[in-house]
Amino acid sequence: MLMIVSGCSILSNGDGYEVIYTNKSTNQSATRQEESDHTIAIIPKVVNIPYFNAVEEGAMKAGKDFGVEVIYTGPTVADSQEQIKIIEELIHNEELSVDVIAVSANDPESLIPVLKEVRDQDIHVITWDADTLAEGREFFIDMVDPETLGRHLMDTLAWNVDEQGKYAIMTGARDAANLNEWIKWIKIQQEEYYPDMKLVEIAATGDDPNKAYLTAKRLIKDHTDLQGIIGNSSVGPPAAAQAVKEAGEAGNIAVVGLSPPNPMNEHLKSGAAQVITLWSPKKLGYLTVALSENIIEGIYPYDGQYIPGAGKIRVVGDSVIMGEPIDFNKENVDQYDF
Amino acid sequence: MTKLMIGYIILTVIPISLLGYILYSQYTHSIEEQVGEYIPKLLEQANQNIDNQLNEIKQLPDSLYNSSQIIEVLRKDSYQSKSNLLKDTFNVNSYLSSSFLNGGYSGILGVFIQSKNRLFSSTKIPYSGLRLEPSSLPYGQDLDLKGQTQTILPYQTSLEFEGNPPYILFMRQLRDYENQENLGTILIAIDLSIFDNTLNTLKEENDSTIWITDEGGRITYHTDPALIGEVDHNLSNYPDINGSFRTTHDNQLISVESSQLTNWKLFHSIALSNLTKETNAVRTGSVIAFAIIVVLSVIISIILAWNVSNPLKKLTRLMKEVEKGNFNVDLPVNKMDEVGMLAKSFTSMIQEIDKLIKQNYQIELRQKDAELYALQSQINPHFMYNTLETIGYAVDDEEKEVVIRMVTILGRMLRYSLNNKDKLVPIASEVKNMKDYLTIQKFRFEDRIHFTIQEDVDMYQYYSPKFILQPIIENAIKYGLEELFECHIGIYIYQEADQICIKIKDNGPGIDENTLVKLKSSLNNDAIAGRDSSFGLINVHTRIAMIFGEQYGLEIHSEVNKGTEVIVKLPVVRDHEIRNLSGGEESA
Repeated sequence: MLMIVSGCSILSNGDGYEVIYTNKSTNQSATRQEESDHTIAIIPKVVNIPYFNAVEEGAMKAGKDFGVEVIYTGPTVADSQEQIKIIEELIHNEELSVDVIAVSANDPESLIPVLKEVRDQDIHVITWDADTLAEGREFFIDMVDPETLGRHLMDTLAWNVDEQGKYAIMTGARDAANLNEWIKWIKIQQEEYYPDMKLVEIAATGDDPNKAYLTAKRLIKDHTDLQGIIGNSSVGPPAAAQAVKEAGEAGNIAVVGLSPPNPMNEHLKSGAAQVITLWSPKKLGYLTVALSENIIEGIYPYDGQYIPGAGKIRVVGDSVIMGEPIDFNKENVDQYDF
Repeated sequence: MTKLMIGYIILTVIPISLLGYILYSQYTHSIEEQVGEYIPKLLEQANQNIDNQLNEIKQLPDSLYNSSQIIEVLRKDSYQSKSNLLKDTFNVNSYLSSSFLNGGYSGILGVFIQSKNRLFSSTKIPYSGLRLEPSSLPYGQDLDLKGQTQTILPYQTSLEFEGNPPYILFMRQLRDYENQENLGTILIAIDLSIFDNTLNTLKEENDSTIWITDEGGRITYHTDPALIGEVDHNLSNYPDINGSFRTTHDNQLISVESSQLTNWKLFHSIALSNLTKETNAVRTGSVIAFAIIVVLSVIISIILAWNVSNPLKKLTRLMKEVEKGNFNVDLPVNKMDEVGMLAKSFTSMIQEIDKLIKQNYQIELRQKDAELYALQSQINPHFMYNTLETIGYAVDDEEKEVVIRMVTILGRMLRYSLNNKDKLVPIASEVKNMKDYLTIQKFRFEDRIHFTIQEDVDMYQYYSPKFILQPIIENAIKYGLEELFECHIGIYIYQEADQICIKIKDNGPGIDENTLVKLKSSLNNDAIAGRDSSFGLINVHTRIAMIFGEQYGLEIHSEVNKGTEVIVKLPVVRDHEIRNLSGGEESA
């Protein structure tokens, strides 16, 4: 039988094709391997807060989709020294061979030495969520354009306080680059368009929910006639809403800011918070893994690139911009699951 | 003749046909190569265009994400009332119509979104067959495309459009990027006629076949719409290249180019005969020109061969004639070429042979004649009678001495004339015979005849023909005694340059001018005149001339009443030279 089959194939070859011209080698880029042995380490600012949990979900899903191993590990408090320790452990662990380390930096400067060490070992470094100095990484995955976000956060507060009165900002780590960038644009927007409003305090919470709650209570107490609180990091708005609610000021003190919708669901519906803004941290996690996998394959992000599972991205300079901010209010908050 | 023609034909037809064949095959080969290189580039371009078109369509679903209203609908799991569902359906359908069908993409036949047991759709023409059940699509419930766009061919689905336009379906999962959940599946039906514009530019020039297959060889597009959906079974046999190849069984030039985007293969097939169609005029022209050249060269070769062989044939025929003995042949060849020269040489050779034959023949004839005459004159009965009578008188007178001498001389003369074996004899013998003759005549006529012989050369050393002197002496005596009482004859033998001259001088009546002129012309004309008085002289002259050549013979000087002088001119012939003399031996 084999003989017959092979005989047939010879005959059909003998049928004869004479190659006249070959345009170029036919080796098409093979479809991406389903299972690769790539390892990608994702390091958030802090673990166990809803925002970074959602990031983890997205990252893990992407790991499954692309067939790469994703290590999601971060400090329990938003501290750059902790992150340095984690990174050193990752690169000195003999059992792991990490291809990419993607960091959401608590401090733009202090991570630089360790990231350089990482890069010396031919490990790719990118940043996401919060950037380091440019020399520390290959590119930065930004969720939204910082100017757009900062100005938009100011706007959401202004809509809810009739464009006047005192307000405070609750930020996360005081040195986090992204948070400070947004604060800059919040201030600019207010100075340009809302002269009747006044920023009374910027309070750092260290992305600690408990500390944030205490900070919010203190702010309400310290500043009489406080009209609004902008939570500049994701632990801010839930803590502020909780404090406002407990102070019986729901509706009087507007709470806006950055937070995943799930922790704010009740507050938005009860009126303790008016509108919160965010992007999809799941998408961010997914995109971070997707882009990490791409750079292992040698594909660097470009403007308008379509990332399966995360849509189109924009690239400005060495920053990837994932998309536009989403506003969550009591009408649409149920649509989202993070 | 045939050999020559074959030679000519081999020398002209074979190189020309070989050259023609090589040129033509080289030419078609280069066309093949050029087209084989050119078409894949066109195909690459076309692929690029198609890829671009498909890419644009592939990216259309992204616009859904810009509409939060649509995304909100798609995120919904359940409805409290039917009217809410219908309202959402209406909204989504209107959105699909406005942004897909009326969005400037003419190639879209319809858009479908399957989402959580809902089917939203908007189509240009009515359709049937697409239901909510997953069975109407080739992928089951566990559809996980990982963000990739899947292509579905009509045979894989029960979806049908009215009028059965050929189409392909792009299927893509709609992912909720924010929640990282599945929203549903969008299907875009694309009318394949959108490829027509791109592919028709390829087709325009020639009657070619264009088709597209997917990786499995399934035909997604074909210039013959009936074949769409079929499997191209040859695909696995084709060389796995981007480029061109030629099928050896039916001489098709097939070019392939794979698309980077879809991995589809775009094929372009054209019969090689079509490619070379334009060159066929050239080919026909060359074939005609070739045929003309062949015919011309054959004709020329025939003419040339005929030109050479015909004179040769004639020559052969004439040679046969000559062989038979007919020398009177004429070969009228006026050409200056080799054959002409050959013919001329032949003619002149034949003429020469003829002349020589005639010469020899006539020489022999004359010689016989001359010898006959000489024989006659030797034993001239008249002379014999006169001599015997003289002897008779002497006997009567009892002049015993005289009788003895005369009989002795006569005997010697008879012996001389009998000895015919030698044609040439020493001049001494000839002179001796002449002296004998004169002596006998002197016995008869006594004092009426006086003769002197003076010799300045050694007469034994040189040779002469026989009986050349006696006729001259006879003549001199005959005419001398007729007119005179005393006849003086002087004979001088001397050498003059390379000639031996024998001068016979008499004091006879001489020859009048007319007769002399006649005689001289007779000598020169070499004609055998009648046997008149001058015949003896002419005969001698002719014999000498025949043996030694025209420059030898007799020279006659004469003056009326003064006398005549006859000079016999002979070449210097010595004993050993006799054999070399032409005619000497032959005439013996």
